[in-house]
Amino acid sequence: MLVLGIETSCDETSAALVADGKEILSNVIATQLDLHRKYGGVVPEIAARRHAELIGYVVKEALDAGGKALSDVEAIAVTARQGLIGSLLVGVAAAKSLSYALHLPLIGVHHIEAHIFANLLSNPQIPVPHVCLTVSGGHTLLVYVRDYCQYELLGGTLDDAAGEAFDKIAKFLGLGFPGGPVIDRLATNGNREAFRFPRPMLKANNLDFSFSGLKTAIINTFKQSIARGEELPLEDIAASFQEAVVEVLVAKTVRAARRKQASTISVTGGVSANRRLREVFTEACRREGIQVFFPPLSLCTDNAAMIAAAGYARMQKGWRDDLNLDVIPSIPLEVQDGRGN
Amino acid sequence: MKVLGIDTSGYANAIGVADGDRVLADRVYAARSDSLKQIVANIDSVLREAGLSLEEIQGIGVGLGPGSWTGIRVGVTVGKMLAFSTGKQVCGVPTLEALAFSARDAGSPVCAVIDAGAGGIIYAGRYNVAQGKIARMGDYYVGDIQGLAASLSQRTVLVGARASEYKREMSASQAKDEVPRGADVALLAAQRLERNESDDALALAPLYLKEWTAKALSVQG
Repeated sequence: MLVLGIETSCDETSAALVADGKEILSNVIATQLDLHRKYGGVVPEIAARRHAELIGYVVKEALDAGGKALSDVEAIAVTARQGLIGSLLVGVAAAKSLSYALHLPLIGVHHIEAHIFANLLSNPQIPVPHVCLTVSGGHTLLVYVRDYCQYELLGGTLDDAAGEAFDKIAKFLGLGFPGGPVIDRLATNGNREAFRFPRPMLKANNLDFSFSGLKTAIINTFKQSIARGEELPLEDIAASFQEAVVEVLVAKTVRAARRKQASTISVTGGVSANRRLREVFTEACRREGIQVFFPPLSLCTDNAAMIAAAGYARMQKGWRDDLNLDVIPSIPLEVQDGRGN
Repeated sequence: MKVLGIDTSGYANAIGVADGDRVLADRVYAARSDSLKQIVANIDSVLREAGLSLEEIQGIGVGLGPGSWTGIRVGVTVGKMLAFSTGKQVCGVPTLEALAFSARDAGSPVCAVIDAGAGGIIYAGRYNVAQGKIARMGDYYVGDIQGLAASLSQRTVLVGARASEYKREMSASQAKDEVPRGADVALLAAQRLERNESDDALALAPLYLKEWTAKALSVQG
């Protein structure tokens, strides 16, 4: 079954063709990063305007790149839950129009659920159940994937998402937006032990995260350096900050796997592209005898292939939406629509 | 030529169907918090009311705005993707033009006014309407009502959701309280399509009339 996926939940306009939930025929992603860079973050109105300009072209490009015609498409999947409302509305309006005009089934997908499928697209051998960490600019979530489309929330961030912490620190240090790639790069030459930044909630007996206090600690360190007239050790700050985030993410995910007696971990979302995160995860999981999976870099950030894959899985369960499909900016994955639990 | 017209610039779903210069159906589903979610289902209802299927429509007219930024994005996206997926021709129609056209029997000139939803700002366009044809005079206006009042002649017919209220502040001869209608969008699109004019569906873009600025963050429509 050929599914056309559409994703417009944040600042990437994306459309993809995926066959049978696993074979990616095309995955077109129009990023808006350049438009948002000067604001140091995603501006919702700018994002929504750009989605409306690009959506038609991106869908057409996905068809052309996949070598398919609209008449070959058998279902439309779209991100309808979790994201910026103005952005989500554009994708959902497009998907409903396609579904109506072409008489095709419509499936609304939760953005986080789709990230879980990003990993499965490239690693079809990932077993269920497993523990999945979704970590991006908007989310830091630990989910127990009991089965596909059946989730149990284990923990999440109480304030900033991990990727958001990277963005805010990068903005504070004048490194630009987005923060993840630039801090990853700078940290390569930095000393991870130069500063002992706090490991927020590492010792707490739960699976939640908090990153806003870490941000404050870094800003204070930075200001103290300036006050002492020291040269700013940007690379060391980047490396030490990254180490603190990575350590907490890995430790809590491994703890979650132990608690659930899961022998597999998957890591998804934009921050899963971070090289140090992958390195520490790989080492920790080797020690624990846990298998760990990461998506390829092209599927870490937001993309429509993962939406199509998640939509296909939902269809396999016999779930469909109709033209009344709602857009919900914020809703927990495990209660998203009363199904799947 | 059978044409579907849609406009969601005020969140309300204005949907109409015209055949040439004849209106087959015309509905305005009042603005509600979930209006933008209903648009495609409502299009289906209005087409049924007109006794037509989407396949039997020859063209699509889309209200481009100005109005609610979110509203016009949804309307334009629906029009664009319906046209793209059916291969039908599409025409973007400025919402102010459709609104002015609704006063085509009231005499000319007509000034259409849409509330920008923040800080007393309005969008306006002045039109000559005669013998079923409409032409804009001068540029669109974005500003306060007093600024508009200064530039209007006494013979002007004011049309818009709050026309009567605005008329008190100016010397317009008549006020017609009216919201954009899908049928008017369809009629104007049909006129253009019959002249073999249409727009590139994929390039169809909202008419915001207001650039986004960092300052506008707190007052966006």
